[in-house]
This record gives sequence, structure tokens and C-alpha cells, in this order.
Amino acid sequence: MDLQTWLPLLLGLAWLLPLASFAIVSIGGSLPQIQGHHASYRSQKIAGVVASAACGASFLLSLLAMAIWLTNHPLGAEHPGGHPGTAHAPPHYSGDFYSLASFGDLHLAIGYYIDTLTVTMFCMVTLIATCVHVYSWGYMHEELADVVDNEVATRDGKALHRPGRYHRFFQYLSLFTFSMLGVVIAGNLAMVFVFWELVGICSYFLIGFYIERPSATNAANKAFIVNRVGDFGMLIGLMTLWSSLGTLHFDQIFPQLAEPASAGGLSYPLLVVAGIGLFCGCIGKSAQFPLHTWLPDAMEGPTPVSALVHSATMVAAGVYLVGRCYPIFVPEVLLVIAVVGAITLAMAATIAITAVDIKRVLAYSTISQLGYMMLSLGLGGWVAGLFHLITHAFFKSLLFLCSGSVIHAVHTNDLREMGGLRKKMPWTAYTMLVGCLAIIGAGVPAWGIGFSGFFSKDAILEQAWSFAGANPAPVYGLLLWVPVAGAMLTALYMFRLWYLTFAGEPRNADRYAHAHESPLSMIAPLVLLATLAVSIGWVWPFSELSVTSLLEQARPAGTQETVQGEWLSSLTIPDEHLSHAPEIQVPAGWTTFSAAMGGLLLATMTYLWKWLRAEEIRQSFRPIHSFLWNQWWFDELYDWTLVKPTLWLSRFFASIDHWLIDPLVHGITHVSRLVARLLDSLLDRRAIDGSLHTLADQTWNTGLSLRQLQSGSLRQYVLFLVAGTLGLFAVASLYWKFAVAG
Amino acid sequence: MNLHSPATYLSLLTFLPAAAAVVVCFLPKDQDEFVKKWTLGATVVAFLLSLGMLVGWPGIAFQIGEPGMQHVFSVDWIPSFQVHYMMGIDGISLPLVVLTTLISMLAMGASWPITKHVKAYCMLFLLLETGMIGVFLALDFFLFYVFWEVMLLPMYFLIGVWGGPRREYAAIKFFLFTLFGSVLMLIALLMLYYSSDLRPLDAGLLAEVGISQTDIEAIQAADTPQHTFNLLALQELGQTTDQFKNRLAGKTYEWWAFLLLFVGFVIKVPSVPLHTWLPDAHVEAPTPISMILAGILLKMGGYGLLRIAYPICPEAAYDLAMFVCTLGVVSMVYGAFAALAQTDFKRLVAYSSISHMGYVVLGLGVWSATAGTDYNPDYWKMGMNGALFQMIAHGISSAGMFFMVGLLYDRVHHRDLNQFGGIFGKMPLSSGLAIGIFFAGLGLPGLCGFIGEFFVVLATWKFSIPLAVVSAAVVILTAGYILWTLQRVYLGADYTGPHAEALTPITKRELSIAAPLLALALLFGVYPRALLDTMEPSVSQTVERLAEWKERDDQAKETRQDSGKTTRQARRLTNHHQQQLTTPSP
Repeated sequence: MDLQTWLPLLLGLAWLLPLASFAIVSIGGSLPQIQGHHASYRSQKIAGVVASAACGASFLLSLLAMAIWLTNHPLGAEHPGGHPGTAHAPPHYSGDFYSLASFGDLHLAIGYYIDTLTVTMFCMVTLIATCVHVYSWGYMHEELADVVDNEVATRDGKALHRPGRYHRFFQYLSLFTFSMLGVVIAGNLAMVFVFWELVGICSYFLIGFYIERPSATNAANKAFIVNRVGDFGMLIGLMTLWSSLGTLHFDQIFPQLAEPASAGGLSYPLLVVAGIGLFCGCIGKSAQFPLHTWLPDAMEGPTPVSALVHSATMVAAGVYLVGRCYPIFVPEVLLVIAVVGAITLAMAATIAITAVDIKRVLAYSTISQLGYMMLSLGLGGWVAGLFHLITHAFFKSLLFLCSGSVIHAVHTNDLREMGGLRKKMPWTAYTMLVGCLAIIGAGVPAWGIGFSGFFSKDAILEQAWSFAGANPAPVYGLLLWVPVAGAMLTALYMFRLWYLTFAGEPRNADRYAHAHESPLSMIAPLVLLATLAVSIGWVWPFSELSVTSLLEQARPAGTQETVQGEWLSSLTIPDEHLSHAPEIQVPAGWTTFSAAMGGLLLATMTYLWKWLRAEEIRQSFRPIHSFLWNQWWFDELYDWTLVKPTLWLSRFFASIDHWLIDPLVHGITHVSRLVARLLDSLLDRRAIDGSLHTLADQTWNTGLSLRQLQSGSLRQYVLFLVAGTLGLFAVASLYWKFAVAG
Repeated sequence: MNLHSPATYLSLLTFLPAAAAVVVCFLPKDQDEFVKKWTLGATVVAFLLSLGMLVGWPGIAFQIGEPGMQHVFSVDWIPSFQVHYMMGIDGISLPLVVLTTLISMLAMGASWPITKHVKAYCMLFLLLETGMIGVFLALDFFLFYVFWEVMLLPMYFLIGVWGGPRREYAAIKFFLFTLFGSVLMLIALLMLYYSSDLRPLDAGLLAEVGISQTDIEAIQAADTPQHTFNLLALQELGQTTDQFKNRLAGKTYEWWAFLLLFVGFVIKVPSVPLHTWLPDAHVEAPTPISMILAGILLKMGGYGLLRIAYPICPEAAYDLAMFVCTLGVVSMVYGAFAALAQTDFKRLVAYSSISHMGYVVLGLGVWSATAGTDYNPDYWKMGMNGALFQMIAHGISSAGMFFMVGLLYDRVHHRDLNQFGGIFGKMPLSSGLAIGIFFAGLGLPGLCGFIGEFFVVLATWKFSIPLAVVSAAVVILTAGYILWTLQRVYLGADYTGPHAEALTPITKRELSIAAPLLALALLFGVYPRALLDTMEPSVSQTVERLAEWKERDDQAKETRQDSGKTTRQARRLTNHHQQQLTTPSP
């Protein structure tokens, strides 16, 4: 089978189906509005089905593509970069769908770059998207009819009544799925940037889905603008590559990078600029420190959105892009990535401990887990980082959908109002328990079995261990101990969340009384995702098929070797395969295990057995608690250092026009008028006018006779003006023709 | 009438609106509706005529992919001053002509709410259209200048009579600024005219720039300098001869001419600090006139730079490239910041225009084809194509933005951003269209604004890294002011301003104006080749010729330096020799 034809066709189709669904739903939703009514109940329902069907079909196409891929590229048969020292690219297919523009030798196009990573990501994204679509049938059903939004008060003090927007939700979800798949299939960085922005705008629409709520629209703006700050850096990275290499196509960049600067490659400083620039974009999209502040606010969107966009797929796009562009990053940039990841994972984990909004806890947990992925990639753990991306996508979307199920039942996000819900909603409670166990990496190191997170987190910690071994300087050791401490914090905040929600006694009897298990369309995706959260890290029975072996096949050229920094000569990024050695694997595994168990124990003692009183801890660590409670004061800091100065500056610029330029212009006109009047009185009135007075009398009489023309009608004036001008031109040209030219 | 002859066709296209304006004066006074329909009909015909060149009318079909000037014709107009009625079209002017007729047509559709002096309004409107089309088609500098001035007067009246409360101030401000620019242009025009001499050009070249056989013979036989207004000839002279290199106050004529032209044109663009007429004009002008002002008139500045200033004065353009680009970036930043501070909806859109047109100036100026890059013109091509693309894209998005503002203003009669909100709930369809159009302005991928901005910014790095960084940073500010505006106007629970009852859904007429603009924004954003295929060859040819000129010029300078060096060496040798002669040998 010809993969060069079939893969782009299948994945291209899988990519475009959601776009078709978007077009159908948006046109179908707008047509009734031209007539002045709203979309009917039935058509809205159909919109949901169309979008979900498109998404499901995309998933099937992706699976087919995966099957075709695996039959042609058996796992383990090829070890593309397997021989150290050979820069052999992994199997991939690339080409252009259509050209955007070309200028001489420069070409921009919409194209594809398909390797194992692309196909794996396609399967993951479409599967989770399908689950979320189906889940939304139940979760969003209130939007089918007119909605009373109690969180918004209108001017007359009543709750807001508005028509439902069920179809709009699916319309945005479809557009999002299309855009996200566009980022994944993109064949060049310009196309990545295009879809990068498009996922951003979908995120904007979905966060701001409740457009009447100021908190939602503020959060949407914040998300987009903060992301644009990252994109600014990304643009710089793109410019560097574009100006030096003359191409943004992956299949042309990677070989060129291997060349020395004299033969068309990049000089080292430019490589650093390009790498950091690209990473800036990833910082914004993946909510890494210091641009993470938008993600917690993004929880204003409906919960299925948080599950799909703000945990499983879009925010992971930053990690994906780091993985995709890996050959661009030099060791110093990788160190920056690792440090940013470490700071992020620690910071977010500490904040998650004090948050009381169920979705915010999960949001900070997402940030923290994304920090793990970045850290891993930065330390050379390419497969480990992307493996965690895949496993995290499943358990985090599961956790979010479970939290959505809870919110659906109790109509609040506040953990302090929940408690004891496992009796009311067992399916939700136990699938969420599976998610919690997966995220803390529960498993038994001695037997090598566990939940999916166990494998991926272990892989990351092993690489960190290996890195710390290769770089004995104590400061590098932090990059090992921070994630270990993070593992403990993860267990602590996740089980705090679970206990506060499902265990103990109900803290709000009223809400508890109204709570109920969610409908089947919501439970079914939970069960499916829970199964995958357990098993996605496993090896397919009787084969070599596993996420790691798939990723191993996509490993970019040149990551198989241990590399040294050029500026920081002491910096060593170790080969990832070295971390599989037993002398690293065993201690790393047990360390992670003990950290996680420690956190779990702490949470259990505090929130289940109540041996420790959370209230007392809070009292005795008041300053720290307040620091964490206020999320490290980032929002206030940015407000004072960035937002307010920008607004001051904008007022300053606007006032330049008003107080400087315009007065100058007015001044010039005044001066010229004064000069004119002066000349008028000196010359005209005295010298010339006197002699002309007689003539004026004559003119006066003529004027009287011409008075009839002064009709006061503007139209007539204009006509005269035009006729006059044309006449003058005609006279002038005739004059020149006969008198001057002779 | 022979519509297969370019002379007839292009003249018809240009003067059809003016002819329709003449008919308007004879229409009955009380038939406002009919006058509007007649005017709309004329603009539709003009639009179809401009499209006719694209769909391929035998004889006047535009050859896509052909970089040179097409359908050139030249008729004596004022022979004693070598003024010709000369027109032609290429990939640079064709998109602008089509944009002009399209926006004029849509703006006429948006003129229905006008009830004051309808006949006069329609006449001036049509006259304005003739002026605009003429500017883009003229290939004779004098003719260009005449059309440029023809445009000015109707615009003055359209703002001054049909505008808002401060209309007279705004109209006079517009008039004075533009007139100031035209005067500078006139001086440059005369400087170039009186320095030019066609005789050094050989017969083939003269024929190529559209000069008739009899004229060529006369030129070659003449023994006095043969001045010209022919833009193509002036370009040739500027790039291949030394005719504009006379010195004046330490600089060449060419340098001064470029400066004058540049200032004249950037007033129209407008660039900071010559921009203050624009916000006032926009705020006071009625909606359709704002659409034309932002959609077309601003493009003439960029067109003038691209067609006249750069090709005729390459040396000065190269000298001042950094100045030009800096001005572009300053406008981008300044406009974006100022937009953020506005509370008047229309003023905000006006400042966003200043910011967006900064990309045009920047893109034109990124002259990266120098010795350092081995005269590689590709990045500059990208910048200049990006600039022209941005002109068209901005023509679409800004016209749309002003229309959407006007649509709200027609209903609630105010533009205070702090007194809106909740429009989406009341007018979902028009809000959806508005959000789409504003996103085109924001530079969202998939819509037209992105392509131009992206090309220009990507091309800048090769020219100047600091400017590239600053221009890339503007994307943050743009997102800031557009999203904040959308939030204040369309989102939220409640409309907080007066006349809430007037917020009725979009009408069919309004829909048929806004929807095509959004559709075009989408088309050009998704498939930019739809536009680039037409314009890219011509723009790239302009760039290539300038890059070649630079290479020639550098070589010439090198040889001059070499010869200078040899003479200096020779002199030193002689001195040495003399010294040897004078010093007594030990």
C-alpha cells in the first residue's frame, strides 16, 4: 500500500471532517436567525449528533491510519536512530496540501508531516474528543431550551433569561477539534502557528461560552492575550529560522540544522534564540511559569471544555511542539525548558493544595503535570515526556469529566460544600478514584505493574535520576528532587480532592439531597476513559505494541546520544536509553513510589482519618497559606507591572495626539491666518484696493445680475465647481496647444 | 464603442461613475430612492467592469502571472508639456481597482440611511469613485496628480456636509493635511519632470514604456532635453541614469524628491506623526464615507510609494530605508497603544487603521537585498507582497469594521464603548459577523489580516532585528484592544446605553454588505494565492529591479572607489618621489 498517498488522505480526511461539521452547524444555526428566530430544539439536537459523528469518524479514520502504519512499519523492526552517531530521521511522510505563497526560493504551504507521533496524537485527540462530545450531550442538555443563568443578574436584578446555545457549543468543539488536529498534522512551523492561533481562538470562544458572565469573558480575553505574549516569542523563533534557513518545513529544517553554519545551518547563538523563542510559544500554550495564570481562570468554561481543551489536548500542544521541534533545541535551551518545567510543577502543586474550587485544583494539577512533561523533555527524556502527555490526556480528561459530573449533580464548584457523594454517585466516585490513582502514579515497582501514570511518571523520574547522575553539580540535583517532592504533593492534593468530594459526611445537606448520578451519556465516557487511564501505559498482550514503543519509533534523529552543552560545557543531557539501566530504574522507582505513598498517607491522615486538622495547619502556617491561597500573587503582580502600565502608556500615547500634535497643527494654521490677514491689511486694502474701488463698483453691478445663480442649493454649487474645473482644464490645454506650443 | 480596446475600456471604467453623476443632476429632486438606486447601479456596473478584466474579455483580459504593465495606452493631452492621457494596469493596480469598485458598491449600499441632499451626495460619491479609480490606473504623473486632486474635493464635502457635529473642523483638517501632501507631491513632480530627459533611452525601451513611434522619432531627433511625466519612463530613468543626481543642499534631487513624495504619501497612509486628521475625519464622516476612507483612500499612500517613490528614487529609498521602516513600526505601536485608550468606537477603529497601515509602510521598506545577503531579493519580495496584501486585507476588514460600527450607530445613535454590552444577545447574527470581521482585523489566521501581517513581520528580521522584535510585539496589543472592544460592545448581559428598544436584528440590506466582506476575508485568509497569483509577479518584479539597481550601483561605486584608490596611490607615489627628489640623499 502506498503510504505516501494513503496516510495524508486518511489523516487529512480525519482532520477536515470536524471542519465540515463546524461549517454545517454554524450555517444551520445561522439560517433561522436571518428569519429572526432561534435554532429549534430538534436542530440543536442534530447539531450535537453531527459534531459527534464527525469526531467519531475522525477517530475511526485515525485508527485505520494507525493500523496501516503498523503493518508497514512494524514496531521494533526499525530502530531509526538506534545506532549512536547516525543522524537518521525516523520514518515519516511529508508533503504539501496546497501552497500559500512563494517568493523566489521561499515557500509557505499548508502541508503535512506524518510520523508515528502524528498518528498516535491523532488517535488520542480524536478519541478523547469523541468521549467529550458524547459526554456533552448530557452535560449541556440544559442549553437545549431557554436557560435561566443564576450567576448573571440583569439590571433589574432578576436572573438572566436567554435562549439555549447547545448547537454553538458543538460548533466550537468541532472547530477546536479541527484546529487541534491541524497543529498535529502540520508539515511546517508556519502552519503550526496558524493552527496554534486557531486553537487559541477556539479556547477563547469556549472559555467565554457564557458570554453574559463578566468572569467568563474576562477569562477568555486573558487566555487569548496571555497566549499572544507567548506567541510573540514564538514569532521571533520563526523569524530566526525563516531568515536563516529560508524554510519552515520540518523535513527541510531538521537536515539543515545538522549542517554547520557555513553550509546553511544556524550559528549557535541563533539556535539558542530560535529554541527559546519557540519555547516561549509553548510556555504560553502549555501554561508554564510565568505565563500560567490564564489556565486556572479558563475554568470558567463548561467542564467538558476543561476536559478536552484545557487539560488533555490544547494545553498539551506546547509539549507536543517541544517534542516535534526537538532537534532545534540545543542543550542550553533544554536546560531552560527543564528549569521552567521544574518551577512550574512545584509552584502549581503547592497552589493546588489550598484551592477549594474543584476545577481549580484540577487546573493547577494540569499545570503541574505539564511541568513534568516539560522537565522530562528538557532533561533528554523525549519518550518519557510525550508518554506522560498521552497518559495524562486520558486520566486528566477522566478527572475533569468526573468533576463535571459532580458539578452537574450539586451545582457548585466549591469543595467545602461537598462530601460523602460516593453514596449518591458511585460510578463517578470510583472512576474518579481510578483517575486519582493514575495521576499519582500508583503501582508496584517490584512487579512492574500499575496504572498508566505509574509508567510515565517513573520514566520521567528515571531520566531525572540519570540526569542528576550525569551532572554531579548539586544545583542540577534540584531537577531530580523537585519532581520527587512534586510527586508527593500530587498525591496529597489529588486525594484531598477525592476525600473532600466523596468521602466523609456531606457538608451541605441541601446540595447533598439534590445530588444524583449522571445519565448514561455521561457515565459511559467515564468508564471508557477510566479503562484507558488504567491500561494505556501497558503493553498490548502478545505483541510489542505500547505507547512507548510507538513513540520510540518516532524518536527524532540525534536524540540517541548523550550531548554536551557548548556554552555550559559541564552540562550533559544523557541518552534516554541509559535511564533504563537497573541501577537507575530500581532506586528511581522506589523513590517515586515512597513519595506518592507519603503524600497519599498525609492526605488520608488529614482528610479521611482526621488525625491532622487541616484548620490547625492552616492557622499555624498562615503566611504561607495566604501566599498559596492567593496563587503566589501572580495576578496582582502582573496587573501592577504589566496591565496597568500598558493602559497608562496607551493613555499617554493618546494624549500626545491631543496635547501635542493637534495644538501644533492648530498653531500652524493660526499663524498662517495671521500672516494672511497682515498681508491683506497692509498690501491689499491700502495699496491696491484704493485703485480698484471704481472697478469694484462695476463688478457690483455685474454681480447683481449674476445673483440669480446663487440659489443656495449645494447641488448646484457642486455642479458649478465640477463644470468650472473641467472648463479650466479644457481652456488651459487648448491654450497650451495653440498659443504656447504653437 | 469598442470594448475590446483597452483605451475605451479603462476610460469607461474610470469615467462611468462621473458620467452617472452628470445624469444624477438631471434626475427629479424628490425621487431620493430612485437616485440612490441609480447610483448603486452605476457602482455595480463599475464593479462588473473591473471584474471583466479578470474573467477574460477578449482583448482586455488581464494576463495573470504576467509581471509587466498591461493594456497600456497613451493619448496626447497637453503636448507642449508632454502630458499624456496614459493608463495601464498591472498586478499591483488591478487588485486595488477591484477593491475600489467593490468597496464603493458596498459603501453605496450602506448609504441608504442618508436622507440629506441625496442628489448632491450621490453626485459627489460618484465623482469620488472616478477619482479613486483614476489614481490607480494613471500612468502619467500629471494625470495621477489630477485624479489625486479630483478625489480631494468630493471627500471634503462628503465629510463637511454629511458628517457629525464637528464635521467642519474634521473636513478642513482633512483638506489641509491632504493639500499639504499634494503640494509636496507637486514640487517633487516638477523636480523630476524638469530633470528628466528621454533621449538617453533607446528606441526599444521607449516603446516599452508606452511612447508612440512618432514621439520616439521626435525624441531621438531633438536637441533639447525631452522632459516626461511618463511614470514608466521616469522609473527607467531613475534606475538606469544619473539624471536625478543633481545636488541641492548636499543631497541629490532624487533624495529630495523621495522625501517630498514620501511625506506626501504617508500623510495619506497615514503614518505617525502626520495621522491626526484620520481619527477626526473618521469620527465625523458618515458610515459609507468612513468605509471608503479607510478601505480605499488610505491605500493610495501605499500605492504611491510602491508605484512612484520607490521605483523612481531607488537611491534615496535605500538611504532612507531605516527611516521608512522605523516610521512604520512607530505607527504600528503608536496606533495600537492609542487605540487601547479610546472610548469612542469609531475612533478606536480609526487608530487601529493607523496601526495596521504601519505594516504596509514597514513591509515596503524592508530592503534586505544588499551586499550582505548577496542581493537576495526574496525576503524583501515577501515584505512588499505582504504590504500590498495587507492593503487589500485592511481595505476589506476596516471597511467591514466601520460598517459594523455604523450599523450600531444607526440604531442607538452613540458610539461610547462604555455604554454598550449585551449586543450579542439582541442581535446575534450581526454580532457574529462583526466578531468575524474584527478578528480579521486582529490578524487571526484563516482570515485576511493574518497573511499580510505575518509576511511583513517574517520579512523584517532579515532587514533589522530590533524592528522585527518590536513589530512582532504589536500582536499582543492588537489582541488586547480588539478583544477588549468586543467584550465591551458585544458580550455581557445587558445593554447599558440609550435606545435599547432600537436594537433590531440586522436587515437584509445590511447583511448583504457585511456578509460579502466577511466571505472575502475568509477566502483571502484561507487561500491567499487567490490574490497573490495576480499581484505577486508585478510586486516581485519591482523588487527585483530595485535589487538589481542596488547591485549595479554598488559595483559602480566600487569601481569608482577603486579608481579613486588608484589615483590616491598614484598621488602618494608622486609625493614620495618628490620627497625623494627634494631630500638630499645621505
